[in-house]
Amino acid sequence: MILEALEREDVEYIFGYPGGANLPIYQHLPDHPKLKHILVRHEQGAAHMADGYARACGKPGVVFATSGPGALNLVTGLATAYMDSVPMIAITGQVASTQVGRDAFQETDVIGATSSVTKHSYLVTSIDQLPRVIHEAFHIATTGRPGPVLIDICKDVQQANAEPVGRERLDIPGYQLNGHVDLDRAGEAARAVAGAERPVILAGHGVILSHAEAELREFAEKAGAPVGTTLLGVGAFPVNHPLSLHMTGFMGTGWNLKAVQNADVLMMVGMRVDDRVTARLADFAPNVKTFIHIDIDGSEMGKNVRPHVELVADAKNALGAMTPHIGELHEGRGQWFSQIDAWREEHPLKYTHSNGHLQPQDVLIDMYRRCRNEAIVVADVGQNQIWAALWWNYDRPGLFLNSGGSGTMGFALPAAIGAKFGRPDKAVWCVAGEGGFVMTAQELSVAVEHQLDIKIVILNNFSLGMVRQFQDDFYGGVRSQSDLTHMPDFVKLADAYGLPAIRVDRFDEIGPAMDAAEKTKGPFLIDFRIDPEANVYPIVPLGKSLNDFWEAPDK
Amino acid sequence: MSDHPLPERVRVLSVLVEDGPNTLSKVSGLIRRRGFHVRSISVGPSRQAGRSRITLQIDHGHAEADQVRKQLERLVEVIEIEDVTGQLVHSRELVVAKVKSAEVAGLVEKGAKVLDTGPDGTTVEFAGEGKDVGDFIDELFQHGILDVARSGPVVLRRTA
Repeated sequence: MILEALEREDVEYIFGYPGGANLPIYQHLPDHPKLKHILVRHEQGAAHMADGYARACGKPGVVFATSGPGALNLVTGLATAYMDSVPMIAITGQVASTQVGRDAFQETDVIGATSSVTKHSYLVTSIDQLPRVIHEAFHIATTGRPGPVLIDICKDVQQANAEPVGRERLDIPGYQLNGHVDLDRAGEAARAVAGAERPVILAGHGVILSHAEAELREFAEKAGAPVGTTLLGVGAFPVNHPLSLHMTGFMGTGWNLKAVQNADVLMMVGMRVDDRVTARLADFAPNVKTFIHIDIDGSEMGKNVRPHVELVADAKNALGAMTPHIGELHEGRGQWFSQIDAWREEHPLKYTHSNGHLQPQDVLIDMYRRCRNEAIVVADVGQNQIWAALWWNYDRPGLFLNSGGSGTMGFALPAAIGAKFGRPDKAVWCVAGEGGFVMTAQELSVAVEHQLDIKIVILNNFSLGMVRQFQDDFYGGVRSQSDLTHMPDFVKLADAYGLPAIRVDRFDEIGPAMDAAEKTKGPFLIDFRIDPEANVYPIVPLGKSLNDFWEAPDK
Repeated sequence: MSDHPLPERVRVLSVLVEDGPNTLSKVSGLIRRRGFHVRSISVGPSRQAGRSRITLQIDHGHAEADQVRKQLERLVEVIEIEDVTGQLVHSRELVVAKVKSAEVAGLVEKGAKVLDTGPDGTTVEFAGEGKDVGDFIDELFQHGILDVARSGPVVLRRTA
């Protein structure tokens, strides 16, 4: 009954792991060849694969896990999806309904453990609830602000027989998609941006989720307003566009931060305005007279920054409603653009490559030269993530996937696997540090088993690079427990898993290694042993304002 | 509690929820993890089958006042929320108390009802608004208070 319901929801892939409390589902899986099950090597891997799948192709990712430890292993992956508003359905086995509460074998209160990291969750104790619950779960996961929904199904329910039913009509009184665009306010917002002397637009993940990139571009061009993106908004606006401010936030570009801090009108679209965007909140965008906030989730209004104009709507509807009201532009706009150009000249992205070490930026620039905007890049968390965000000029959504809100190390490899299942037509590159890579490296087996054409780039700096950088700069230079000298030989590790790999230590080896990776069908790993002292710049020191960003030292 | 005027950070919310095994823990879990604090909570069936009404007094801490309502609205179990802070509402709290003294005329005068009297003391009940409940509790101390149980307020908007 569960599997039939999944077929009705057009599920293609399930990422899962069997165990005692979900075996009844697995018993019937072979009878449903339309449902392709990917056996993972750890449940966290399943959650990240489903997440990468959903981010890459837009359909909800589906996960199976058993009760207790199986379900608990999903928690990090659920939190990752929840923070980044990724649609996912997790179906977990639970002990029999008569055993619940008796500390049965592998029993855990999964609803309790996951409530804070799911959009919604269900405990199913009777077969009658099942068709309604599954249909509702898909609806809730994929509509409004998307997110993961967990369905915990007691084992006896999985074994119960019931007449097959059709898709039920939805009736969820507590779930109204009450997003609305107040057209008067939309006009006011549009005129505020157009009439501003120094407007800035910041675009977040919501622009990508609502497919509003064309609307954003049209609005920005007509209103003559420069656009920066958040880390999750990377790709919402083309980096090479003359109005682009590239990435914002505490590791954003210098010219972006200057523009935000000097703006008189700031429009924030589809974003949460979190601490990584604002740095010290009291000093965020201090010259702004009018904050405009657009988000589909009304609870984001005033959560961190109180807007003067709020539009509760998805970015596509809101921007579409605003554009006709743009009207006259402020005459000082030319001066604002020259000022931003001056900042761009004054604070360019830069890095050192004179110390003889392999620089991560050189690796990424070579990758970008090959892939342009045809490949999906899935980054892990840490320095590798910021480098991959800043050194590629993404021109459209869906090319750069990463765990932005939750910052989950170990995300990249399984998410890249999921992304490849979701978009088999696209080249998929996984960029990870060696620290995050080993956290979920067991999923290499999945890549090899399915001969997935993914290229794994390890930026190996023999340390927890971001931690080491923070320790050097903000924690008294004490390099405490951030050394990762003792790691496996990644070429041998790849060999053990059954995929080809190359080690690269020098600049002139980058090209040939990339050639080999591109020529190889199936998974390929490159261990780039980079400068152990390489840092991410710009960076705003912890607790400081966006004004105080540090730049790469000139050497 | 309700015997003192509420500080500005406290919101009074009347919340209609779907009855379910997870509802109360989801409501209270959300309040906790958003950094809010429950000052009082009372739950009972509503007029509609399968739905309960929760009356909450919540200290929203450092968050903007409307965050409590907005965050609760995100729960699928929550059907309707009314923020009745500072509104024209009927607010009632029930107090059941045991006092040593058998002489409870002063309490009865205030509106208490005697539930039973025995050699160990007298049990009384009282229902009223926040301030009246506060005054009543003060009065209880004069009568040698032994034990007290309070329901927390339930609130409904006035018809006129």
